[in-house]
Amino acid sequence: MHDDESTDVASFASPRRVVPLHQAADLDSRDHLTWAYQTHVTAIYQYVYTRVGNRPDAEDLTSQVFMKATKAMRSDVSLPQLRSWLYRVAQTTLVDHWREYYADHAGELDEDVTRPPAPQENAEAVQRVDSLLAALPENYRRVLELRFLRGYSVRETARELGLSETNVKVLQFRALNRAGRERGRVS
Amino acid sequence: MNDDPESLHRQVEYLLQDRKPERVPLPDEDALRARQTAAMLRAARPGVGLPSKEFLERMQRLIKEWVGQVSPPPAQAARPSRRTLLLTGAAGIAAGVAAALGIHRLEQPPARGAGMALVEHGSWQSVMAVAALPESTPVAFRSGGIEGFLIRRGSQVLALSAVCTHMGCILNYSKFRDRFECPCHGATFHTDGQPSNQSGHRLPALPALQIRIQRGDVEVYSV
Repeated sequence: MHDDESTDVASFASPRRVVPLHQAADLDSRDHLTWAYQTHVTAIYQYVYTRVGNRPDAEDLTSQVFMKATKAMRSDVSLPQLRSWLYRVAQTTLVDHWREYYADHAGELDEDVTRPPAPQENAEAVQRVDSLLAALPENYRRVLELRFLRGYSVRETARELGLSETNVKVLQFRALNRAGRERGRVS
Repeated sequence: MNDDPESLHRQVEYLLQDRKPERVPLPDEDALRARQTAAMLRAARPGVGLPSKEFLERMQRLIKEWVGQVSPPPAQAARPSRRTLLLTGAAGIAAGVAAALGIHRLEQPPARGAGMALVEHGSWQSVMAVAALPESTPVAFRSGGIEGFLIRRGSQVLALSAVCTHMGCILNYSKFRDRFECPCHGATFHTDGQPSNQSGHRLPALPALQIRIQRGDVEVYSV
């Protein structure tokens, strides 16, 4: 390795560089920008999915996020700027979603807004759910595990827990309300 | 108006079937939190929450169309300086890794898209002790917004992005087949980052990440 190269390598380590997207590779900038957005679709979808828990809403909100983001964003951004912008748009889109869905009670839904983006949303969600479940009384934890993590029907859950189906629904109701308050406390 | 078990149960059933829940007026903040918690629990079930192929394809088309409507970027500098080229090019990354370790140049610099792995205004984050890296077996890591694999071969350490260059899913390493595999659409990559030979179009290689060795630790430049 000759000297000239190692000099450049030293400056390579310096944390003061700004590399706009369109210079970062030899692609036409618009193609590059398109590609940069496209590579984030899965991450944003997962981010949204872990908050709404169903596919139709996740698809709908994800496409809203990208529509808003592409319209409002300058095209000479860096990749980290683009990424954090997408997450910000996703957060506000979610707040609007809950507000619209359940009218007046979404006023305090900004609990997640300061959360840094998580590239692997599903793993992240699993972690948060584990610690949430650990904070619940045993019977609440059991019913939520069976219903949500193992996909048991109400009937199967009733058999497993030795309860009536009505009691399972009541237990599920109490468990979700308790877990919801626990989440509120954590945030 | 009070919330009740039946109404919440119906919502849970919708979620478990991956359907859009009904819109219902809710009595209070607690009722809303219960529904949000149900959504969060639903999403934690292993294997759910990945976008369908159809949806990803639709989004690819839409994004192309939307980006096409954005006004063009301001005129860029006529020619990037030599330094910019070195900093952004694949050769720059490879040389950075090699020089930090005092070893020779990596043989196959990552191809198209390598510049995308570059981080702006980041900092060096310690990830793992070099001594903890097994020989030739990739180890997954995450640091800030960066997700990648570290691979040690003898005295060389290579860091690759773990983001599939197809549609951005996070790759898994299969020890059995000794390659990276995408859980979304089955793309595979060799442990040097090159896409495995597959029918259809060739994907870009996995970009190399900027790393250095400090006091026996691998550090990654990340945000």
